[in-house]
Parts: sequence; C-alpha cells; structure tokens
Amino acid sequence: MSGVSGVGVDSGEAGESGVSGDPLLAVDDLFVSFTRARRTVQAVAGISFTLNQGETLGLVGESGCGKSTTGRAIVQVDKPTSGTITFDGAEITALNRADLRLLRTQVQMIFQDPISSLNPRRRVADIVAEPLNIWKIGTKEERRTKVDAMLESVGIDPAVAGSRYPREFSGGQCQRISIARALVLEPKLLVCDEIVSALDVSVQAQILNLLEDLKRAHNLTLFFIAHDLAVVKNVSDRVAVMYLGRLCEIAPSDVLYAAPAHHYTEALLSSAVEPNPEVKRTPVILAGEPPSPINPPSGCRFRTRCPRAEARCAQEVPELRAIAPGHQVACHFPIRS
Amino acid sequence: MSRPLLPDPSVQTAPLLAVDDLRVSFATPQGELRAVQGVSLTLERGKTLGIVGESGSGKTVLSRAIMGLLPQGSATQTGSVRYQGQEILNAPTKELRRLWGTQIAMVFQDPMTSLNPVQRIGHQITETLKLHLKLGRDEAKETALSLLMQVGIPSPVERYDAYPNQLSGGMRQRVIIAIALACAPRLLMADEPTTGLDVTVQAQILDLLSTLQRDREMGMVLVTHDLGVVATRTDEIIVMYAGNVVERAPTSVLFSQMSMPYTEALLRSIPRIGNPSHTRLQAIEGRPPNLIAPPAGCPFAPRCPYAQDKCRREKPPLVEGAVPGHSYACWFPLATAGVVAAAGGGGAGGRGGGSA
Repeated sequence: MSGVSGVGVDSGEAGESGVSGDPLLAVDDLFVSFTRARRTVQAVAGISFTLNQGETLGLVGESGCGKSTTGRAIVQVDKPTSGTITFDGAEITALNRADLRLLRTQVQMIFQDPISSLNPRRRVADIVAEPLNIWKIGTKEERRTKVDAMLESVGIDPAVAGSRYPREFSGGQCQRISIARALVLEPKLLVCDEIVSALDVSVQAQILNLLEDLKRAHNLTLFFIAHDLAVVKNVSDRVAVMYLGRLCEIAPSDVLYAAPAHHYTEALLSSAVEPNPEVKRTPVILAGEPPSPINPPSGCRFRTRCPRAEARCAQEVPELRAIAPGHQVACHFPIRS
Repeated sequence: MSRPLLPDPSVQTAPLLAVDDLRVSFATPQGELRAVQGVSLTLERGKTLGIVGESGSGKTVLSRAIMGLLPQGSATQTGSVRYQGQEILNAPTKELRRLWGTQIAMVFQDPMTSLNPVQRIGHQITETLKLHLKLGRDEAKETALSLLMQVGIPSPVERYDAYPNQLSGGMRQRVIIAIALACAPRLLMADEPTTGLDVTVQAQILDLLSTLQRDREMGMVLVTHDLGVVATRTDEIIVMYAGNVVERAPTSVLFSQMSMPYTEALLRSIPRIGNPSHTRLQAIEGRPPNLIAPPAGCPFAPRCPYAQDKCRREKPPLVEGAVPGHSYACWFPLATAGVVAAAGGGGAGGRGGGSA
C-alpha cells in the first residue's frame, strides 16, 4: 500500500512526458459487468492498457462502448468484475474502505455535467475546500490560502466568486470550479469524462487550454474520455479507440489519426465533420449502429459492421497486438499504410 | 385576419421564407431580455441555410419565432416573417396549425424527449398523416412504413410497433425526421438535429437530411453551434452573436473571406483533426454580453482582439461586402483573402490564396 499513501505529497520529478520506469496506471484484462433483470451486460470486456506518469491517454468511442465505465472503474466507482488495476505500484481492485478513501486523494475524476456535479447549496469556496476539510490538511488559514490559490489558477477570482453559489456561474465557470475541486488535494491522476462536451466551442477551448496548463504546472497524468475525435487528439499523447467493450487500437495520437490500422478507427475518422467547406466529404463507411452489448457478436465485435470482415473474424477474437512501436491493433486484417 | 394562410398560386414567385427585421424580447423580472435584435433573412426552395451561434446567441429563439412556437403571452415579436409571401408572424395558432406539418415542419434537438413515450412510433407517424392528409388507416400505415424505410430504419414493420424507449438515440431522431417529413413540407427547420448523437450517427443523419432535402426540393434551415456541421452542407450561413446577425455569406465565401472577428474567433477556437496534438487553441476570452442590459456599441467588442473606441461606442450595422450576398456587422472588418488559411485551417496546406 505504499503507493497510495502520503496525501498531497509531491510526486517528485518527472519530465514533460516522463516515460521512465513503471507506468503510473496499469489496467490488465479488465471486465466490468452489470446485471439487471437477470440479463448481464459486459460493459467492459477484457481491456488492457498502461498510462505513464505525465502522459495523457485519450479514450474515444461511441456512446455505450464502455468508455465511461472504464473511467469509473479506475476511480473505483464501478467495481470491476475481474482483472486488475495497478496504480502507482499498488493493486487497487481489492482495497478496503480506508485505503480506497486514501486512493481517492490520488485519483480524481471530473464529470460531463459541470452544473449538476456541484452541490447547489454550498458556496464555491466551501465546495473547493471540502476535500481539504475532510482530510484535515493544514490549518484553517492554510486551507483558505490553498483554496484561493486553486481558484485563481483555474481563472476564478476567489474574492468575488468564493462566497457565491454554483447557480450564479455559467457552465464553463462551473467546470473550472470542478477542476479546482479535483486538483486541490494534488492528485497524481485525473480522469476526465466528457468534460467539455456540454460547453460552447469558445469555452471548450478555454477549458482545454487550462487543462494543458494545469497538467504542466501540477505534473498531472490524464485519462481523457470523450467522443469528439478532434478534442481528444488535441489533448492526448496517445489515443485508445473502444468499441462495444473492447479496445480496437492504441497509438500515439498523431499516428492514429494519420494512419489508422483498425477499420473502426478509419470509419470513425471518416464521419467526423470539419469546419472547412473544401474538405472532401468521404462517404460514410459505417452503416447502422453498434449491436447490443447484451448479446455481442462472436469473434471480433466489430465484424457485423466491418467492410473487411471474413469468416475468421466470426470465430476468433482478435487480441491487441503491436504492429509498430507503441501502435497496437486488435484486428485480423489491419489496414496497412 | 381573413387572409388565407395556404399558399396561393399568385405568390409562388415570393421566396419560400422571408424574415424582415425580426425582433423578439421576453419580459423578465430583471428587465426586457432582447433575444433577437433585428434579423433579416431569405431562403429559396431547395436551398439550405445554416444558422450558427453559441448558446444564448438567439438562434433557437429565432427558429421558434419563425415557426410561431414562442408563447405569445411572454414573448414580444415584431417585424415580419413571410412564408411564400404570406405574413405568419403573430398569426393565431389556429391558422398556424394549417401550415405546421404540411408546409413547415421542425426537427428538434432532443431525440430523447421529442417523442411521446407512451405511444408506439407507428401511431405517432400516422397521427400526422390522418390529421393533415386525411388518410385512412391502412393507407396511413403503408405511408408510415415507407417513411420509416426512407429514413433508414431497419426492419420497419417490427419498429412500427415499438415504443420510443426501445430505440437508440439515432433511431429516434430518424423517427422524428420521418414524422417531420410525413406530410411533405416545403420548409424544414432543423434545430441542432444531431447534437448529442455519436459522430457516425451524426454523419448518417446529416446525409439523410441532405438526400431527402434534395429529393423533395425542400428548403431547410439548419440551426447549429457547430461550424463543422454547416461547412459542407449549406448554401448560405448566418452567424449570430448576442441576438444579432454579425455575418452572413454564401458558405464558401464565409469560410474563405470571413470579415467579422467573431466568426474568425469561433473558427479558430475549434480543435482540428488535421492539427498536431497539443496545438494551442485560440480561445475567446470572456463571455457573451448580458442581453438584458447589453453594452453600447458592438456586442462582441468586449471580447474582440481588434476592438477600438468606436466599437465600444457605436453598434455597427450589417453592411454589404465586396462579394454579392456577403454582409457583416463590423467597423473594422478583417482583411479578406488568406486570413482563414493563416488561422490554421485544418493544417491541410492546399488551401488559401486562389480566391478570385
């Protein structure tokens, strides 16, 4: 349990994308299932990936693919059915209550809806101070200074805003406050689940820039979940693509977008809209919608919509394998560039 | 008001939709909120007009005012909205009902709540057909099934008896489009028809709307916050900010020769798939103005990097630019050619220059 102890301890040096030593987070063969009315849904069906200290890993996929469940499993809101999650050297899937609480100081999550994720009846300064109060960190005076500094760093004036309530702020400002609350305990890992998808584009840009600045200032590691391909590319060092509970492809972002190897990645990219009338619209490759995760297709889960599917795809589950350094794909017949 | 609302052959030469100096305001406890402050536009048959703006820009209020859907008690509407030459602004609901469905139809943003949750989707489509087109039961069902097929719903016979909660968001939006198109309207108002849908479904729905629109020679107004959605699917674009039209132009002109700093700022703040990771985004600092007590001068001036004293004092009118059909509301419009390319237009190279 050495890994998650030491609340608020500076994680020491690690460069811009300090890719040295063990990964900060390692997810291995993770399954998360939900059972309702005697039917079991495998929301996450055996995924593995690692996240290095100081790195941003993006996770994209359509709604229902299990990307949010993956994020929630990492912060242990949804309990994994099987598989392991190792954070900072410690296995966290079997933590007791006390250790789990301690873990939450190190791994924080920010959600999609900025307004409903803040308590409407508490003042902004109290919302941001709450984690410090719970952990009784520092004196009252020190906490106040810390909260003010945190609000300041997310672009909210503590003198004006501290005594106000969330309803007095716009969506973008509420998301800034959520970020301040998540960072006030100085976590090592921040899980961001669709944090800009409810915001206007001009505000989205402010929040994304802020996140990049804070990542550098606080030496953060980010797990960034979103459906918007351009947003994910903008913030991520590496990107993972998920479909119906499984990973299709992981690659450095510039590689993934320039030379996708999985047919699903290619299809996703082809359907993105670009604010440029001269971009040739490629015909959409994908027809229909993902099948139900209650009864997923055998073999490769994408095969029912894949333009390249063959008999083998129905029989054999393609495992994630490396096709280039840092580039993994789960496909029997990957696209060769 | 005894004039007929249904189109009369003598006015077929009038534009499909003509809006002139439309103003909409709401009485609030804090004062009068001026949501739409003098918007004019025209749309011809078979054309698509994009209305782009962020939340609070007035784009949704504008589209609802055109439809006549704003509560007449609380909203004050002045100006003119003419459908095929007939004035329909502030027309009684009873008369508007004769236009809704058969002449003008609307697709709303939220596919989750626009359908009646306790009625089968087949019934929700045939209801319109029976009411407006006076079709019999069997005939209506046949038409509904063909509509479901046209909007790309697999196995329509089975889906006909489904309830909305048994369908995905994309499927529900297709049903809503089927309902909107059931009586072959000439004008379709689509307010954020793909917001909240996945990218692959969004592409399918937008393609579907384009195809249906072309086949039926419908006029379409596409209201969205996403410049990406309108870039390749509209003939003309109107950009709204704080209740005002700040720029309007044929689509290709807007993107290649934008003149209003807000349009430029909006475009620059969008992350592009073509740009490398960690490209710094050019955010627009600050927030849109309060519409109850808007500042004097240009509404964008407080956030505009090029704002000068005059911008803060006097509100710029919408003026015609050099290119026909291009107008903008700015005292100091951007230099035209090449500006967009310089703004990092997709990192694609190959663009910019070349504008005649």
